[in-house]
Amino acid sequence: MSRAISVKSSSLQLISFCLALSLAFPLWSQRAANVYAIKGAKVYTLAGPAIENGTVVIRDGKIAAVGANIAVPDDAQVIDAAGLEVYPGMFDPITQMGLNEVGAVSATVDTRELGAFNPELIAATAVNPATAHIPVTRANGITEVLAVPGIGGFDSEGGGVITGQASTFNLAGWTMDEMQIKRSVAMVINWPSIQTRSFDFSTFSFKEKPYTEAKKEYDKSVNELSDWLVRARHYAQAKEKGSPDLFVRDLKLEALVPVVEGKLPVLMVADDARDIRNAVDFCAKQNLKMILASGAESWKVKDLLKEKKIPVILGPTERLPEREDAPYDKPMTQPAELNAAGIPFAFSSFGTSFSRRLPQYAGTAVGYGLPHDEGLKAVMLNAAQILGLADQVGTLEPGKLANIIVTSGDPLEIQTQVRYLFIKGQLTSTDNRHRDLYEEYRKRPVPPR
Amino acid sequence: MKNRFEFRHVLLILMVACIVSLINWAHSARAAGGAPRYFAITNARIVTGSGAPINNGTVVVAKGLIQAVGESVAIPPEAWVIDGKGLTVYPGLIDAGTDLGLPKEEPAESAPAGRGRRRAAPSGEIAKGPEDRPGTSPWRVAADEFKTDDKRIETWRNAGFTTALTMPDGGIFPGQASLVDLAGDRRGDYIVKAVATLPISFTSVGNFWAFPDSLMGSIAYIRQVFDDSNWYAQAEPIYEANETKFERLPYDRTEQVIARELRDKEIVLLPANNSVQILRALRLADEWKINAVIYGGQHGYEVADAIAAKKVPVLVNLKWPERAKDADPEGEETLRELRFRDRAPSTPAALSKSGVKFAFYSGGLSGPKDILKNARKAIAAGLAPDAALRAFTSDSAEILGVSGRMGSIAPGKIANLVVTDGEIFDEKTKVKHVFVDGRWFEIHEEPPAEKVGDHKTDEPPGAPAKDMTSGEGVGR
Repeated sequence: MSRAISVKSSSLQLISFCLALSLAFPLWSQRAANVYAIKGAKVYTLAGPAIENGTVVIRDGKIAAVGANIAVPDDAQVIDAAGLEVYPGMFDPITQMGLNEVGAVSATVDTRELGAFNPELIAATAVNPATAHIPVTRANGITEVLAVPGIGGFDSEGGGVITGQASTFNLAGWTMDEMQIKRSVAMVINWPSIQTRSFDFSTFSFKEKPYTEAKKEYDKSVNELSDWLVRARHYAQAKEKGSPDLFVRDLKLEALVPVVEGKLPVLMVADDARDIRNAVDFCAKQNLKMILASGAESWKVKDLLKEKKIPVILGPTERLPEREDAPYDKPMTQPAELNAAGIPFAFSSFGTSFSRRLPQYAGTAVGYGLPHDEGLKAVMLNAAQILGLADQVGTLEPGKLANIIVTSGDPLEIQTQVRYLFIKGQLTSTDNRHRDLYEEYRKRPVPPR
Repeated sequence: MKNRFEFRHVLLILMVACIVSLINWAHSARAAGGAPRYFAITNARIVTGSGAPINNGTVVVAKGLIQAVGESVAIPPEAWVIDGKGLTVYPGLIDAGTDLGLPKEEPAESAPAGRGRRRAAPSGEIAKGPEDRPGTSPWRVAADEFKTDDKRIETWRNAGFTTALTMPDGGIFPGQASLVDLAGDRRGDYIVKAVATLPISFTSVGNFWAFPDSLMGSIAYIRQVFDDSNWYAQAEPIYEANETKFERLPYDRTEQVIARELRDKEIVLLPANNSVQILRALRLADEWKINAVIYGGQHGYEVADAIAAKKVPVLVNLKWPERAKDADPEGEETLRELRFRDRAPSTPAALSKSGVKFAFYSGGLSGPKDILKNARKAIAAGLAPDAALRAFTSDSAEILGVSGRMGSIAPGKIANLVVTDGEIFDEKTKVKHVFVDGRWFEIHEEPPAEKVGDHKTDEPPGAPAKDMTSGEGVGR
């Protein structure tokens, strides 16, 4: 009996929802579709103290005004956010978003190219805007990501050194042109590591090799990398001063020119302390602008990172430590250590389907000693600053892209819900495949008692 | 004409020379017919391994066996006397697990790389289940494949090892290990016990391709083989008594061999190195009702009492864990590795204290010097030196079921002896003579490269020949 009533009431809800929609649409259409005012919320701008009972005005995709006493424009659609909290959308700075749909189905994986040196590849050209991962991710408050070629996942073991250029884009839209924030954000380099232990796929087991052999392979890779950079400098010089008639265009070297000129930062993937030290030395010698990616043992080289002003994009906090004898919570306490040392860092998922966990990665670090406001910055603002995109995203300030989340509470808490989601100033649906499946299986027949 | 005659003459001489040298060769091939095989070591300290050492005694060796041992024994007139003054005679050492004489087959490197490169079942077909008997060849006997030209045989012998258990490799039931003495003229002379033990390995041989591809598969498979063999052992006599009543039994070589093993209570060697593996081996030994001996056993210090309770002997692998030679200088070693490296050599002491019978084996150590060096590490970790000696001699012989024939110096035992100029586990001690099956080998130390001039002082008193190369036999 009670079941019958509940079914009835849920269908009633559906009818009333449809009614509300049909009423709402004409209302919206009377107003400009691209002007919103979020009212009555606590606004965390990340550019100053939080504003109680604040208002955020969005116009033409950008933030028009933020403050406590802001007039709501006449043409704005008003969102009453009393009791809710407003934050900048989160930024996941290392993902394979749009490059990797189902890891086990190779036809849906487009994360890297054959060969060790592919600086001319640009992630944006391969991103699939229709990926099912985007709605799932943005429903958790992530509004923009960096798609990085050649990092993370099963196929990153393939030995690529320069794996291409990373692109950043908004998590809403139909085409890459519409979604893209910046096409080329950083050059990705997997720093060659001295590894005496490697996995041999032909026997499907680990193989140990002598150190001298591993070192030789390492030296070879680093020398090769260095050669590429020298050739790129030569190319830049020839292009500038050489005869245009004799000049042959080389896409690989051309792509490296902004790197050697220090204009395009290098996203340097390294984990072991030794690898980080070697990579920092290399970048200093080559005059490259280095961003450390992953950096599992950053805590061992804090002084060096601090001295050389190298920011870090950290991998997931919810994982095992790099080494068997390291403290079990090292990945969780490391962010607090880096913060105390004054090293700028951001969190990232290094994944696709787990990009949605980004706030929880920060939440775990807060649980292990990172100040809460630093945790927020490390998922909203820091990545934008590290990657040179802070003029567009990262804070709630007039003129910035209106990537905004309106939440039921602290975004780092797992129970918090994103109630309203704005991407490029558009009110964006939080429907996604996870919710679809939830709804579908809620409807399953309940066996009689 | 004259020239031609001369040519024929030369040819004839050549032919005669050939025949003479052939006869000579035949003689050397059956060298046992050479010098008399009677020896006496006098005035030596004799550690018999069965009772208190004799401080000044004589050992008489005759035709491969020990004829007499004691303080005053009659020396047969035909015996060649070796003055043992200042020397100590020990029973010959036994290496209870090697692949001496069974050089490893190099894996075919030319095989195509990638996922296609898989080892197939011995039949050449892909094993789909236990019925295909993957990695199973218990009928192979190491003695049949033993190669006497393995250079290591001499190296081992020169260090005092007179006997070795040599084990075939590859697969789950690779074949029978054989007990061999480390000298002889022909292969047949070496073999003490052809079918000595049945080593088992739990390695999955399927390589992602065929059955079994997991530890649980391997163990289930071994269990199946024992069950099948037990069934065969029961069914065979019934069928033979009733050939007209029942359908004949299907032929299965594995079942026939294993059934015989089980009937004869032959030693089955179970691999187990860490404590989980050891406890599992103890359980499986009970379940399979086999005469089990554990080999490996390096984590024995953790579970010595459990092993003692089951009265299962252990062959301890003396290849103690070591840091790789060309290891990453900055590589951090785990506490687990460091702890194991530190404690493994204390296993023999722990086993000894708990009353576990154990023997030593070289387990892939590249030379006999390392075997004794690693035994010294076990002594340094608390093992009594006489217990260490037993683990190379009497206890080893007992575990391998040959204590009636070797392992101590007593009349009637095989004349396997090692004669040294000091305590056998002393680092400075040198091996002076080795007897294998009563064959005498005088050991001449290779002169150290930097001080060749010292060589003379190493000559033992009464050495009959000065011009022999290292380790060459005399009196054969």
